Amino acid sequence: MQLPRNDDPKTIEDFLSGLVKRSEAITALLISREGICISKVGNVETLNSTALAALVAGMFAATKEVANIVGEEQFSILLQQGEKRHIHISLIGQRSMMIVVFEDYRRIGRVRHEARAISPDLVRLLESRDKSRKEDADDISVPEFREYALNLIDRIFVVGEEEDASS
Amino acid sequence: MPHLDPIEKQIVFKIVYFGPGMSGKTTNLLYIHKALTDKYKGEMLVLDTEKERTLFFDFFPVSLGTVQGYSLKFHLYTIPGQIFYEASRRIILLGADGVVFVADSSADRLDDNVEMFRLMNENLRSHDIDPSSFPVVLQYNKRDCNPKLEIGVIERELGLQSIPVTESIAIEGKGVMKTLQVVSKEIIKRFQIS
Repeated sequence: MQLPRNDDPKTIEDFLSGLVKRSEAITALLISREGICISKVGNVETLNSTALAALVAGMFAATKEVANIVGEEQFSILLQQGEKRHIHISLIGQRSMMIVVFEDYRRIGRVRHEARAISPDLVRLLESRDKSRKEDADDISVPEFREYALNLIDRIFVVGEEEDASS
Repeated sequence: MPHLDPIEKQIVFKIVYFGPGMSGKTTNLLYIHKALTDKYKGEMLVLDTEKERTLFFDFFPVSLGTVQGYSLKFHLYTIPGQIFYEASRRIILLGADGVVFVADSSADRLDDNVEMFRLMNENLRSHDIDPSSFPVVLQYNKRDCNPKLEIGVIERELGLQSIPVTESIAIEGKGVMKTLQVVSKEIIKRFQIS
């Protein structure tokens, strides 16, 4: 049965939420290929999304090297099957990946279908977000940012007296 | 270039601890993780072999606080130092904003340090990064060993002119936070919105 889509999904979160709902997944995350979580929806409270993003990005990059060895440019989908939970990872454009965590393995077809269906919209939204990034970040004053950040570094990365290793 | 997200309101910088095998990269990260209070750090991942050699990478995030409405974060990574993990090292350097090169001060490891530094520069170039204008801090670790390398010998071998240098005994925590401070400041000083 085809479930209805959101009335008018506009944001990355809307599309991810729709996917989670229709495929009955636990959570969906969008991450950069550098391993940073861009967006997450669903049941994310029990997941360490920062660590998950770093690991999956590394895993995906390693798989790209494997693909090269066997004569492929890259593998666009990775599937990890567990006892209770499974992970479907798909490449979104060239710079991002979507991670879908789900429980009922019989829904793999639906997960794959939904992931494929929203992929072009996510690419479009990410591109537009990238283009407007500089404008949106205009609220940052770089000299002030540097000054505050350097103060935080001094305050938090504390160097004690016992630190000196040169003597 | 850091990950700057005006919607999520976060700026994330990536620091990679690079260096030859057994030079003390993971030891640096373990000390930093122990030294920081809980509110600033996330869980640490250590992906190693049964012999405690790093297999893929170690990682943990640091959140320094909010600057101009943006959450300022550093993600700290190590690379596997063993020579045959070349592909992993290249992967982990992707998106790096700065590097701490952890050199082993043991006198007989000069060649390993120099070779690994050259490999690092090659890896950076493969990501279209010019090593000469990239924030790299050279940390002479294991300053308690004997005989040890003189400070300056690695720079001379590699023809490095103005690289920031620190000294450390990471296993005792000496010089570790200082190195982190130096590399993160080098990164912030170069920060711009592009």
